[in-house]
Amino acid sequence: MLPLSLLNAAQNKPMLVELKNGETFNGHLVNCDNFMNITLREVYQTNAEADRFFKLKECYIRGSTIKYLRIPDNLLDVVKEEQNRAREANRGGRGVVTGNRGRGLPARGARGTRGGPARSVRGRGRGA
Amino acid sequence: MLIFSVFKTLTDQQVVVELKNDLSITGTLKSVDQFLNIRLDNIKVLDEARHPHMMAVKNCFIRGSVVRYVQLPAEHVDTQLLEDATRRETTTQIKR
Amino acid sequence: MSSLQGYVDRRVFLNLQDGRVIIGTMAGYDQKSNVVLSDSKERVYSMEEGVEEIPLGLYLVKGDMIVLIGEVDEAIDQSVDLTNIRAEPIPAIRY
Repeated sequence: MLPLSLLNAAQNKPMLVELKNGETFNGHLVNCDNFMNITLREVYQTNAEADRFFKLKECYIRGSTIKYLRIPDNLLDVVKEEQNRAREANRGGRGVVTGNRGRGLPARGARGTRGGPARSVRGRGRGA
Repeated sequence: MLIFSVFKTLTDQQVVVELKNDLSITGTLKSVDQFLNIRLDNIKVLDEARHPHMMAVKNCFIRGSVVRYVQLPAEHVDTQLLEDATRRETTTQIKR
Repeated sequence: MSSLQGYVDRRVFLNLQDGRVIIGTMAGYDQKSNVVLSDSKERVYSMEEGVEEIPLGLYLVKGDMIVLIGEVDEAIDQSVDLTNIRAEPIPAIRY
């Protein structure tokens, strides 16, 4: 399971992002790229001392400044299942000309409706 | 690149890796990559009483960027050969 | 590549540059040593009390932040009573 496939599948899911400087951002993932640059919406920002809070409608975070991301637990199973399904589909479809043979995930857009209710990521990394 | 090659010749030797967080770890060098990330087997943390954090860890991957020193077994490093190789590498670099 | 191969689906110990210790199951990694841990928990060490474990769940850690990843021998790990361990936290990286 590649970190980036997990992140890609986390679109519209809630997450907590901590930066290298200790600031944290709680919000829903809008988009991400291969550098792990991300945009979040409905964001609660907390400073490193955890004593000041800001609410942002949307924000962009440069991937290189991120320490870690905390993602809803169920997402791992969702992505694993998706990959299994893609593998199955490829096996079953052998001989049939498809645009996606051998490797990789099905086209995006097939995703997003599945998966349990998006649980919110609660709390911070440290007790706080 | 040269140092990468040196490390490759030292696989299966006993080394001590000192990290930039002052932790020193000794173990058998299992592999190295281009970033000088290191895999160690049968590790032991120096001053284990003060550092019980890794009691249950027997082998590890260390990120090259956090290594301060690696103590090498002197008998397995041909310093003469290394000097010559270094000179050769720098002259080819100047030519380029 | 001195890669993280062999660690997938294993219980691992992860030390971050800020000194934190996280235990989790390695779900995956990539070329930049970015790492995905499931069922992860932070272990907080102190001299005053035993080790505190804080559940973290699914975690994606950037490779830049990683100091060390070790394979945890679960038999040994489970035989240790964390409430009896007193230790300073691992220091943060200082350049």
